[in-house]
Amino acid sequence: MARYLFFRLLDMVPTVFLVLTMVFIAMRILPGDPALVALGPNADGGQLEAFREKMGLNEPLGLQYVTFLGNAVRFDFGHSLMSDVPIGTLIANNLPHTIYLTIASVVLGLVMGIPFGVYAATQRNKLPDSALRIYSLIGYAIPDFYLAAVLLIVFSLNLGWFPINGEGSGFWDGLHHIFLPALTLAMLKSAFLGRLTRTSLLEVLGRDYVRTARAKGARESRVIYRHALRNAMLPLSTGIGISILATLSGSVAIELVFNRPGIGRLLINAIQERDYPVIQAGVMMFAFFVILVNLAMDIVYLIADPRIRMKS
Amino acid sequence: MSEALLDIKDLTIEFGSGSQPLRVVDNISFAVSLGETVGIVGESGSGKSMTALSVLRLVPEAARVSGQIIFEGRDLLKLPKREMPAIRGKEIGMIFQEPMSSLNPLMTIGDQIDEAIRLHEDIPAPERRKRVLALLRLVGMPDPENRLSAYPDQFSGGMRQRVMAAIAMACNPKLLIADEPTTALDVTIQAQVLAMMLDIRARFNSSILLITHDLGVVAEICERVVVMYAGRILEDADARSLFSNARHPYTQGLLRSVPTLNDTRKRLYQIPGSVPPAGTIKAGCPFRPRCSVRMERCAVEMPPLRTYDPGHRVACWATAEAAA
Ligand SMILES: Nc1ncnc2c1ncn2[C@@H]1O[C@H](COP(=O)(O)OP(=O)(O)O)[C@@H](O)[C@H]1O
Ligand SMILES: [Mg+2]
Repeated sequence: MARYLFFRLLDMVPTVFLVLTMVFIAMRILPGDPALVALGPNADGGQLEAFREKMGLNEPLGLQYVTFLGNAVRFDFGHSLMSDVPIGTLIANNLPHTIYLTIASVVLGLVMGIPFGVYAATQRNKLPDSALRIYSLIGYAIPDFYLAAVLLIVFSLNLGWFPINGEGSGFWDGLHHIFLPALTLAMLKSAFLGRLTRTSLLEVLGRDYVRTARAKGARESRVIYRHALRNAMLPLSTGIGISILATLSGSVAIELVFNRPGIGRLLINAIQERDYPVIQAGVMMFAFFVILVNLAMDIVYLIADPRIRMKS
Repeated sequence: MSEALLDIKDLTIEFGSGSQPLRVVDNISFAVSLGETVGIVGESGSGKSMTALSVLRLVPEAARVSGQIIFEGRDLLKLPKREMPAIRGKEIGMIFQEPMSSLNPLMTIGDQIDEAIRLHEDIPAPERRKRVLALLRLVGMPDPENRLSAYPDQFSGGMRQRVMAAIAMACNPKLLIADEPTTALDVTIQAQVLAMMLDIRARFNSSILLITHDLGVVAEICERVVVMYAGRILEDADARSLFSNARHPYTQGLLRSVPTLNDTRKRLYQIPGSVPPAGTIKAGCPFRPRCSVRMERCAVEMPPLRTYDPGHRVACWATAEAAA
């Protein structure tokens, strides 16, 4: 197990390296002169030259690359072009909020989606099953920013149950603020996870070992929760991974609509302002998030499935 | 005949509804007495598994079952659904045809056997552990202490079938149903699992309903044999008279196709043709197309099971005519 983890972590090195390289290349092939963009059309030649010198843009490409990698490994992302704030500080201020949103929406999405899927699977072709089908269809079809706006208008503006924007302060106030944004994402996630739970559970319920469980005298609830659902969780956990990753793209719209701090909003603002170092850092954050979630899912598999555990 | 433990009467199993349901078991009746080992023989697709599953009411949801399955005086088909779990595993244990897929891949075999006990008996964990070990020893599992925490994937098909048998026997059921326990296994392993079945028969007082398509297996272990074909019973006799005096042409064909020890024939006999898919024979005897002694009447009317010697029933017009 420890051995497997060691090699799995080792495996990540080339991936991280590749991600960094691609970010580096992407930043260099973007159209436009970063200095010109950063300083605006009124900047004179001297200012531009000074900027390039400061950003290391005059160095040979190879040296720039090595410097870039070195900084990235030390989590030194430089300063924002706009505010001159160290990017590390920007990330430290924003990342926790995106993480909270991810956790809250994934937990809520699982709590809503899995029982709904189980219920639909056990009531196949009956009302709960149709209800799930319609719910999923809406969930697939509706854009996140639209759903966010609808929830915001109904529950915050009209009913006044939740704050309109911001992140709140303290745990309970924070929870109050995060509820609607998390619910928006959770509804989309549960539409996907509910459907996936139904499908995997139905598949597993047809397996021979489920019949064995019944033949032993297990009651239906035990058959489902103890035997079938645990097996269905394996294919389902891939879906959960996808769903966690979907928070990334979701967070961009949600953080904007609810005006919450976070990496998504940081990135969108940076793109609007052509704040290259911040864009670079934001993209890298997203890439690391993907890598970490994949690693986490692998570990979950390893713990949950004795067949994989034995092979490693 | 002694008292019947299991008495199946007019059992019919159909798939699909409407005017053309697919009838995979057609109005069969037979009984299993206390302590008796009964074999159901028949080629693949003749409805053996559906018959077996219907006893535990584990047929697929789409199947419709009618008739009576009387177990210890109660009709299981009339029992409320929620009362079946108390019978499954406790009164009737079952071993399935598919050892590779019949165990939960995420549970240790120790836990899976333990569950079979725990579901029905309220005894402390250490006692259960002792029982699990005893069961594993009984089914011939080598080194059982070290196997408790192993997962099904670490076992071969034969070993998994032993685990299945331990699960089935966990509560000392009155009836053990074994649906082709050896079919999926290699020949040498088949012999070992068959030896295990004989062992189980010797040590428990359970009645056994053993399903197989192998008459060799029947000869070794069964006291009585039911021959099924395309959802019907063609012959039902005690094993000795079946082997010495098979009356149905299908049974005779099956017996001729069993290899014997000093076989001088170059090629084994095979009944020409194959089993018709369920529901394709609308009238008359389903074996007719492959039968060498068929008569005109066979196309029109299914012969009823008729008793010849005591306890020997045969459904065949030709047999009836010869006996007349
Ligand atoms: N779910 C099902 N739907 C329709 N037909 C089925 C289903 N399961 C089994 N059958 C049919 O029932 C017949 C009897 O099957 P089975 O009892 O498994 O035969 P055996 O065990 O003797 O090989 C077969 O013709 C099979 O095709
Ligand atoms: Mg079968």
